[in-house]
Amino acid sequence: MTPYRPMPRSEQANLDLARDILSRSKAHAQVEVTLIQSETTMVRVNGGEVEQLSQAVSRGLGVRVIEGGRMGYTYTSDLSREGIAEALSGAPALAQSADPDPHRSLPEAEPPMSDDLDILDAGFDAVSIEEKIALSKEMERAALAADPRIVATLRATYSDARTSVALANSQGFAGAYQRTSAAGWIQAIARDQSGQSMGIGLDFSVSPRELDPRKIGEEAGRRAADILGGQPVPTQKGTVVLHPVAGAELLLFLAQAVTAEALQKGRSFLIDREGEPVASAIVGLADDGRRRGGLASAPFDGEGTPTRLTRVVHRGVFQRPLHDHYTARKEGTRSTGNAARESHRNLPSVAPSNFYLEPSELPVERLLEDVARGLYVLQTMNVGGINPATGDYSVGASGLWIENGHPVRPVSGVTIAGHLSDILRNIVAVGSDLRFVPFFGAIGSPTLHIEGLTIAGL
Amino acid sequence: MIVIRLNACYNRPPTQHPSVRMMIDPHTAQRVLEAALANGADLAELYLEDRASLNLSLEDSRVEGAVRGADRGAGVRAFYGNTAAYAYTDDLELESLLRAARAAAAAANRGHRQQPVLDLTRSPSALDFPVEKPFEVWPEREKSALLHRIDAAARGYDPRIVQVSASYTEYSHRVWVFNSEGRWAEDERNIVEVSINVTARANSILQQARAGFGGQMGLELFERRDAQAEAREVAESAVKMLNARPAPAGEMMVVMRNGWGGVLFHEACGHALEADFINRGTSIFAGRLGQVVASPLITLLDDATVPARRGSYRFDDDGTPAQQTVLIERGRLTEYMWDLAEARRAGRRSTGNGRRESYRYLPIPRMTNTFIAAGESDPQEIMRSVDKGLYVARLGGGQANVVKGDFVFSVTEGYLIEEGVITAPVRGATLIGNGPKVLAEIDMVGSDLELDRGQGRCGKGQWVPVSVGQPTLRVPRLTVGGTAA
Repeated sequence: MTPYRPMPRSEQANLDLARDILSRSKAHAQVEVTLIQSETTMVRVNGGEVEQLSQAVSRGLGVRVIEGGRMGYTYTSDLSREGIAEALSGAPALAQSADPDPHRSLPEAEPPMSDDLDILDAGFDAVSIEEKIALSKEMERAALAADPRIVATLRATYSDARTSVALANSQGFAGAYQRTSAAGWIQAIARDQSGQSMGIGLDFSVSPRELDPRKIGEEAGRRAADILGGQPVPTQKGTVVLHPVAGAELLLFLAQAVTAEALQKGRSFLIDREGEPVASAIVGLADDGRRRGGLASAPFDGEGTPTRLTRVVHRGVFQRPLHDHYTARKEGTRSTGNAARESHRNLPSVAPSNFYLEPSELPVERLLEDVARGLYVLQTMNVGGINPATGDYSVGASGLWIENGHPVRPVSGVTIAGHLSDILRNIVAVGSDLRFVPFFGAIGSPTLHIEGLTIAGL
Repeated sequence: MIVIRLNACYNRPPTQHPSVRMMIDPHTAQRVLEAALANGADLAELYLEDRASLNLSLEDSRVEGAVRGADRGAGVRAFYGNTAAYAYTDDLELESLLRAARAAAAAANRGHRQQPVLDLTRSPSALDFPVEKPFEVWPEREKSALLHRIDAAARGYDPRIVQVSASYTEYSHRVWVFNSEGRWAEDERNIVEVSINVTARANSILQQARAGFGGQMGLELFERRDAQAEAREVAESAVKMLNARPAPAGEMMVVMRNGWGGVLFHEACGHALEADFINRGTSIFAGRLGQVVASPLITLLDDATVPARRGSYRFDDDGTPAQQTVLIERGRLTEYMWDLAEARRAGRRSTGNGRRESYRYLPIPRMTNTFIAAGESDPQEIMRSVDKGLYVARLGGGQANVVKGDFVFSVTEGYLIEEGVITAPVRGATLIGNGPKVLAEIDMVGSDLELDRGQGRCGKGQWVPVSVGQPTLRVPRLTVGGTAA
């Protein structure tokens, strides 16, 4: 099968175009031009048969203008001369409808760092569509074979993208990079006389060939089988162990609470806690925009600031929040390179990059051995019950009941609830098994042993 | 666990700008469809869209940024039996459309004789979703001023209001669908919405409330709804919850206020009635047509034809005409929601539920405006009938699992009911249960059906605007997850 790839692909060509567009702007203001180009493939298999095969090429332009502290943004997928001209002339006009803010400006150009981030797979194009289909089918086979009670799978999906980003601004910054990513995920369904259950398996990598379809499928199948027949437990306050997938979900919201944007706007339960202990002394939280092979790694952020490693919480003490240029300027500090943008359709905003809770050296088996009695949470259902502003945490959970370090029966139909500040203080053990989960970005967690959560069931 | 989330005020900067004329004529469409059929596909389709949007957002009493966007693109789909091959592009030149068509065609090579493209005939629609006051009647500055009025109204409600964020969004979305069976459908969807998020603080307690309003219409929305009154209402909800005590945990009787509470049934029952889950046998409702699945008090509808609602359209994104579908009639399961692909797979007729977020996605079966029909109980009487329970005035986000129908929802505004009267506000409550079980157990249905205020967006890998609704309902037993054990 011939891949669908009609666009010019060089990084330099993209950068040249961004510079050219910038030079056409007539605005007497700060101007930033972002070009994002992507090629994506998606394969979905069901019952050994390809259900969907989707290929795409797309390109978008975003123009941000800041004039007298007023910000306007236009974007378009129309890169014809007229489309570009309209975006360029529209942004300054739009800025006039926004309110002035003295801290609003574009960052001055900083020299980029040149370390290898390992985000571009040189062999990406060599992976054929047939291989991607085979990979998806293998995920499905592995899920079905994981346990005799697996009766079906849902959405055995492979997707990948090659993305090229170019950014140029009136403050002298011009940069471009390319990255690749591939992901596989599947849901497996287990059924017996006790009922049904569903398990998820997923993985991602910079390179399609580094995905292990068997592992993804087995994870989904095992997970579904493990929690099959789960029953609620009596309502109690007790021990909860979060699997990395559940831990990463909690950390996703915690990461929002440590952005300067949330803190400055009073939308964080950690407001006014900088410099204070906020977690147990074994807890370290870091954001690393340059993590090798990281899903959110890039040489510069959404407004051209070099990315970096930020230690947000060290030995339990809240060291510093995540900043973009605007929030940093407001506090007279430096951006941490955390201006993120989802696509050319979005203004940059402060968001975590590769954000994680630092692992220990404790193997998960040992961590579990120390649990006298508690709930080992394998999957959660978040319901908007995690709130970084108030610190409320409440999710639906399923997993295994642990007695004396051993799983004794499946549990489902319960919620676990607490306050994030208590949860952070009550993390009594951290596993060695750091795993990144591609939620909205890349959030990583090891297995976490937490005391004092409310488990609500019967 | 499918991540299905319906979020009241998920504040995503949308997409668009003043309508660009799209150059696509039936002759061009025909050429593209022919190219897509070249390798023996059974059916080919060309989908085009043009979307212009404006978003303004306010926080800290300041309109922080104004965003205008234009999104244009096209996707070509070729069906080979149950396989759908798809390619899309944002370049609408004929050459690019043909390249996409060839990519879709290349997914298979059957060497069969090529299907012809039947004569493209434009489908009429009797439905009309008028815009009385077009978006451009107000310059952007006036839309900024509206956000400032909302901000002032919310802050003025109580000194404990410490933060207000609000956003204004409008978009005009035009779509064209052509397929090789001669279908030619066009639609235009104009949506305007406001979302309001208020934070109240007393000592160390922070409480947020969010709500929004909008619809498929123009700026006449603001003649029909008082934006400042809406803002005060959100502020009131946040302030009330400051004094809330921790929610009780355990099983109890629950009364759900009419309107937005329908989101629970959208999540916990609606998704499980979507044909993709039915065809794969993974839904709890698969194979149960004609069976009793709910209390006889329950009739559940999905209706894409309701005037001014966010989930309405003339044609779905497969080009199928919109319709009203009775999903459950007095407790009996009568129909599922079908799109073109799933209907082909099962040999059924599409119910016009094929929707996509944009040309970057393939259509899948989705809900439109989904609600429980009015019953006969007086809502006051429902309240009076409860000796001890929870009154759910506002639901936050939620999630459900289509395999078992289990759901979890957060209650953003809840109160204790004691001896038939609403008493203390409670915080941190979640509802946990099983959708079909709740449908079977509901024992009182109010006469006060109301749809939500026009802020719903549903995510199933793709986001689409929807509406939900319900009358006041009484559920005899539901597990409430709270922090007060």
